[in-house]
Amino acid sequence: MSLQIKICCRSALAGLIALVALPAIAEDLQMWERSGGNASMVDALVAAWNAKNPDRTIKLTYIPHTEMVPKIAQAIATGDVPDLMGMDLIYGPQFEAAGQLVDITDKIKDWPELKTASPGHVAVSTYDGKLYGVPLYADVSALFYNKDLFRKAGLDPEKPPTSLAEIRGYADKITALGGDVKGYFLPGNCAGCNIFTVGPLMWASGATIEPKDANEEPLSGDGVKEVLQWARDMIKAGNVHEDARAETGETFHLRFGSGKIGMMGTGNFNITLAKEQNPSMDFGIALLPGVKGGEVSSFAGGDIVTIPNGSKRVDDAVDFMKFLLSDETQVEVYAKMLNMTTRGDMAENKYFQAEPKVQDVAKAIAVAKTPYTLKFFELINSPQGPWLQMLQRAYYEDTDLDTIISDTKAQMKAIAAE
Amino acid sequence: MHTGASKYIGLLYVTPALAFVLVFTAYPLGQMVWMSLHNWSLIAPKKYVGAGNFIKAWNDPQFWTSLEFTLKYTALITPILMISGYLIALLTAENRPLRQITRSIVFAPVVIGLGASSLLWYWLFSYDFGLINRVLIDVGVIAKPIVWFGADADRSMWAVVVSIVWKVLGFGTILFVAAIHAVPGEIGEAAMVDGASYWQRVRLITLPLTAKTILLVTLVSVIGSLLAFDQFYIMTAGQPRNLTSTSVFLIYLNSFPYRKLGYGAALSLILAGVILVCTVLQMLTSRRSHA
Amino acid sequence: MSASSGTALASAFPQRTPQTGFASRLVQGRQKYLISAVCVALSTVMLLPLVASVLASLKSTQEAAAVPPTYFPHSLSIDSYERLWNYQAGLPTYFSNSLGAALLTILFCLALTVPAGYGLAKFRIPGKEALFVVLLLGLIVPYQALLTPMFFFFVQLNLHNSLLGLAIIHTAIQLPFSIYVMRNAFEAVPRELEEAAIMDGCNSFEVLLHICLPAVVPAMITVSLFAFITSWNELLAALVIMNKDSSFTLPLILTAARQQTSIGGTDWGMLQAGITISIIPCMAFYLLLQKYYMAGFLSGAVK
Repeated sequence: MSLQIKICCRSALAGLIALVALPAIAEDLQMWERSGGNASMVDALVAAWNAKNPDRTIKLTYIPHTEMVPKIAQAIATGDVPDLMGMDLIYGPQFEAAGQLVDITDKIKDWPELKTASPGHVAVSTYDGKLYGVPLYADVSALFYNKDLFRKAGLDPEKPPTSLAEIRGYADKITALGGDVKGYFLPGNCAGCNIFTVGPLMWASGATIEPKDANEEPLSGDGVKEVLQWARDMIKAGNVHEDARAETGETFHLRFGSGKIGMMGTGNFNITLAKEQNPSMDFGIALLPGVKGGEVSSFAGGDIVTIPNGSKRVDDAVDFMKFLLSDETQVEVYAKMLNMTTRGDMAENKYFQAEPKVQDVAKAIAVAKTPYTLKFFELINSPQGPWLQMLQRAYYEDTDLDTIISDTKAQMKAIAAE
Repeated sequence: MHTGASKYIGLLYVTPALAFVLVFTAYPLGQMVWMSLHNWSLIAPKKYVGAGNFIKAWNDPQFWTSLEFTLKYTALITPILMISGYLIALLTAENRPLRQITRSIVFAPVVIGLGASSLLWYWLFSYDFGLINRVLIDVGVIAKPIVWFGADADRSMWAVVVSIVWKVLGFGTILFVAAIHAVPGEIGEAAMVDGASYWQRVRLITLPLTAKTILLVTLVSVIGSLLAFDQFYIMTAGQPRNLTSTSVFLIYLNSFPYRKLGYGAALSLILAGVILVCTVLQMLTSRRSHA
Repeated sequence: MSASSGTALASAFPQRTPQTGFASRLVQGRQKYLISAVCVALSTVMLLPLVASVLASLKSTQEAAAVPPTYFPHSLSIDSYERLWNYQAGLPTYFSNSLGAALLTILFCLALTVPAGYGLAKFRIPGKEALFVVLLLGLIVPYQALLTPMFFFFVQLNLHNSLLGLAIIHTAIQLPFSIYVMRNAFEAVPRELEEAAIMDGCNSFEVLLHICLPAVVPAMITVSLFAFITSWNELLAALVIMNKDSSFTLPLILTAARQQTSIGGTDWGMLQAGITISIIPCMAFYLLLQKYYMAGFLSGAVK
């Protein structure tokens, strides 16, 4: 009967498919990395390793970044872990504190390369004095400004703003140019973009944002209110495109390159992107300032590579880490792609010299901070968390800022205490 | 019907499905109930809290926000679906080629996935890249593009409603057409002889005689809306400020990104309870209206 | 409203002559033209989004990312499809994973619900209604919360990261609806046929195979269609169960396409290509088998 044949065929197919689902060959290293990060950088690093290590190639799987943290947690809880994984550096402390990563202090603490590696990355790879990972790639934030628009607005293109007040003044002039041009950009629906580009404004104004633990006071310092007030005023003055409100991060990297924004906080990745998007645009890079002049800051972001508990290839993973920090990789993979080198002492290299903008942005590494907290996602990065809620209320509502800030403090404290 | 010892043969036929459900639905459900009594974040050990999670839900403003939003969404989309579906069913009930083709086309979106459909509409409603803003501007209805998602909760909700209506309209329509076909032709003809107009006939004859289907489709639609997740996950992600987070989206948030599995489990049980209540209410109402 | 909820019905018979008397008397003369116009307009509106998506997938990469968007592609290009084809583990991998899971889901659904429907419809089982309720339990519980316990369970059974495991979850999601459909279908098979067969000396299995099964084919096709749609498009379970790139399914890739251009931007062209590829098998299934389950829907009785 045709039905029986159909069932037979289906069973055969099912068997075949089950076979296909068998685990991969034992020699491969399994690596997870979050999507939505610098995929091309990670691809290049893995490819470079694979070329040199054909007997122990790395098989990379990108996990949708919103699901990365729960997936890692699930994997560790069930013991079915990848051999190594890249993760947003900000989650390092959380996993380290929970004892979910392999302690590699003894294996790597004497590495000379580690001494000049990005301080922010190393800080979050450390917990309780022990080391758990090394930088995978680094992004830093800085103030990009459109020199063409500066000229049109009568501003000196070689003198970027050095304080928030100056940014406001310059922005007003640029917005006055009319058309679709605006002086600044503030993303309205992206927690990560904001901590990356608005957080440093607060740091440079002497404020702190995240609490390290339940005992520390979040959002301390007048800088918080001053920056929020400044942002609110910027938006009210019409210096920001209306659709910035809907920016979830998905088109954030395309904004500056459109040529319609005078200044904006963004990351080093925007150098190559903007040049591709808009080759004739003349732009410069400065550091993100605070309320008063004289102070600058930046956000050191990116990923670190760590080894989850239960990994069976710890030594191979450590070799990969050494590979990442080696001179050759730093220059021939990182710098060649015009990405930040994860070691400060490698910033002087032939590729960067050919591209002065990259050197400008590399200056940010020295002043860059990375938040250190066990609950970064819940506090800051979550689209539903207190950080984004605070910003949205400050940007778009008229509620008293003190109320907003104290509400947010209470929420953050509650989360940190959980 | 088979009788006697063959009763147990009947049971035998049902056994594979029953075993499957017990192992792969009832057992995880039991585990979920167990989970709801604990706090568990996957990487720390479980902690027994008894009814703690349920009390937490009662006191959690986000829980009530999500519940309200879910109920509001359901209350708004159900009449739209039912009325449009019914009207289109009346429109295309005849078995003539054009009507049948229309029926098929209206049904077509039902067979594509909710994920694909949500992404499609997400693109259409996109501020910069979407065609809806482009059309509205070209036609002159608006001067500047509208921010559909992320700014205003109600606007986001309506955008989602449009996409879902497009997607599921056909399902109700087909069932209504079937019910309309089942109405005996003679009654209508008799009514026409008596001088009843078209809409009078619809109101006094078609509607009552298809009432059972209407109530069934409504019930199914309500349950589906109460359980809405994919479209919100993809199109709004609960934004702005969690105002468009449906109950299931909240469950997802707690079960995955927040890793508060016990709380997520408790929320699921509460939601299942709400759905059960809604279902029972609807069935009681339908029974009474038949009496 | 998910595709898996709802009633469906299947008729044992080929489509009866429809009751056109009532319907056709509803409108007179000129109104017929008006109605036709409305039908055409409605059809156009319903089809527009799909057409727009397909056209967008055929734009060149730059045009796909253009602001404001263009209505029609200035030139056709398969850039987006190429990128999709080569994306990470490659489209063929993801496509075949999705296909495999979907076919397995259909297999399991049919294998479980055909006998179950038969048993529930044709036998006087003690506690039948209670049994029916248990089987339909899955309908009111959001399956998203069940995924984590199921994942742990699967790790113990070594079913995680496998298409088999994914198919089991999809089957569990689809089961209540499928059982409902099959039971209704079997109930619609007239008793006389069965009794004739029994009197001829057939046992219950033979009755099922030779008498009932041919009659419920439309219902089986309906069940298959919806099982396919559910499995093919399901996202969250795939996300939770699959650990390796090589086992990912198509919906996961669509999600990733939203973050694809470097630093998390959306690759619109590739997204449209992905959506189009997702839609094609569902549409194909639908158009090819329309005859069967439309007949089932339209001439069956609703319970």
